[in-house]
Amino acid sequence: MADVTLSDIRKSYGAVMTVHGVDLDIKDGEFVVLVGPSGCGKSTLLRMIAGLETITGGTLNIGGSVVNDLDPKDRDIAMVFQSYALYPHMTVATNMGFSLEHRGASKAVIAERVNWAAGILGLTSLLDRYPRQLSGGQRQRVAMGRAIVRNPQVFLFDEPLSNLDAKLRVVMRGEIKALHQKLKTTTIYVTHDQVEAMTMADRIVVLNGGRVEQIGAPLDLYDRPANQFVAGFIGSPSMNFLEGKITEAGFQTSGGVLPLPKLINSEMGQTAVYGIRPEHFRLSDHPSHASVPAEIVLIEPMGPETQVTMKFGETQVTGVFRERINGAPGEVIHVSPEVGSIHLFSEDGDTRLN
Amino acid sequence: MRADISPRAKVALYGVMCVLLIPFVFPTWWMVTSSIKPISDIFAFPPQLVPQSYDWTTYSKVFELQPFVRQYWNSAYIAAVVTVGTMIISSMAGYAFARIRFPYANAIFMIVLLGLLIPSEVTIVPLFQMFLKAGMVNTHWPLILVPIFGAPSVFATFVMRQFFVTLPAELEEAARVDGLGRFKIFTRIALPLAKPALASVAIFTFLHSWNLFLEPIVFLSSAEMFTLPQALTQYTDAYGGPMWNIQLAAATLTALPVLIVFIIAQKQFVEGLAHTGLKG
Repeated sequence: MADVTLSDIRKSYGAVMTVHGVDLDIKDGEFVVLVGPSGCGKSTLLRMIAGLETITGGTLNIGGSVVNDLDPKDRDIAMVFQSYALYPHMTVATNMGFSLEHRGASKAVIAERVNWAAGILGLTSLLDRYPRQLSGGQRQRVAMGRAIVRNPQVFLFDEPLSNLDAKLRVVMRGEIKALHQKLKTTTIYVTHDQVEAMTMADRIVVLNGGRVEQIGAPLDLYDRPANQFVAGFIGSPSMNFLEGKITEAGFQTSGGVLPLPKLINSEMGQTAVYGIRPEHFRLSDHPSHASVPAEIVLIEPMGPETQVTMKFGETQVTGVFRERINGAPGEVIHVSPEVGSIHLFSEDGDTRLN
Repeated sequence: MRADISPRAKVALYGVMCVLLIPFVFPTWWMVTSSIKPISDIFAFPPQLVPQSYDWTTYSKVFELQPFVRQYWNSAYIAAVVTVGTMIISSMAGYAFARIRFPYANAIFMIVLLGLLIPSEVTIVPLFQMFLKAGMVNTHWPLILVPIFGAPSVFATFVMRQFFVTLPAELEEAARVDGLGRFKIFTRIALPLAKPALASVAIFTFLHSWNLFLEPIVFLSSAEMFTLPQALTQYTDAYGGPMWNIQLAAATLTALPVLIVFIIAQKQFVEGLAHTGLKG
């Protein structure tokens, strides 16, 4: 187990820079998730930590020593790949014990460690099988077994669940989290799935275009996104954004006036972006000064809740309600945003105004 | 293939296949049966598809007229050395071209591939002069060195490169994280996974060397050094005419090991050839 510190880590391929100076302090035993859209540099960052990509600039520190120029094998890390990367010509047991064997461990030690890891991951009965004889979830577990068997300082996961079906993904998500709670090894996990990030991380690092947008605990990011990108990326269905002007009466949009939170960092008349999460709309029985009329476009009953796509002025917004809604497309309902859950961003989306 | 093929179509299909079989099977049948016919029966008219009388002495004469065992051994060990050598060189070169980033890798690979475009007949004279200077004429060295470093190996390198290009990079990265260096990754991960490609390289290299004819007749001059394809031409009478039945007996013995291996490893042969993209 070790701290991992990234100081101004940069990566460029020729003249093209893909990671623009990332600073990140990961504490011993922490579970950090790097999340962002495709091409945001999250996998590149992980691969630089692993030693599979060279670091163009900055300093990478693992367990108190600078490892920029060390080979992956000398960094004492273990990595789980998206495709699992199990050696097809080796059995589960050989796959798991391979790195120990290569490092000169005795057969007894290898057997003990492999059995220990297999026990934790429920692989004991599969040790003699070959990867081709395993299901996706079992392969995933073997890949994790291979990582934990030599007790590395840091675990790196590169989108390990993206090849699994939705149901298995949820199961494995829980297993990885449980494994981390048991072993308490520093873990860096890359995903593009914000639900995975929210459910697993101690801290999330949101990346976009090779830059860190925000670092924080999952609910901090959810409740107080630092900018419009993070606000839109975290949460599903994603946050609604409405453009308009800040006025004395409220937030003036093409569809009407919306209520504003009390403390805002801006001047009257300023153009801004109003953010509201779908679950932060409330249904009103009657029109009131706090509610706005919205035309129903689509109603999607999910069971516990109902997702409604509405037209508010020229803008389409999504609302999620606990109530069951008996409306039809074209009908007008009255909804009011929860004032305490409103997010205001500058016109360019880079700054939070409240 | 469609499963619901009608019985009539099936009969027609098998009929066509039987007809197509004739040009492939007949020469072998003729070779084997003629090897045990007296020479006059080979040219009898109408032709005897099934021998009327047998003359097994042809097989003993094969060994009396030439050091056939020695020639057999020559062919076998040369083919074995060439096969193993080509497998080593082509797998390493193919891996390097597929996986190691070095300056002008693609340009160098193209230049290497150009070697395939030059017919062996073009290079045989300069090669003869080179080996003559090196004192290697009438030794087996040219038959070993030319295929290992020449066109057959280039083709093998191409096959191996194409295989290694398709090997997932993540497997090698996992091996790097597990602590392996480049050479260990090659020997422990890449090579064991390349067995199908290696098998096809082994098959066509062995066959190429076993059947090699032009090079032996250029480089070898004494019967003790001959390989089988060359030895077959030496079964002639006092006037230089071929002793057909003895020659065909020797040919049968020459084809035998390849035939046996083919019957045993038919599946691997077909898969191996499919792998190379060669048409059988």
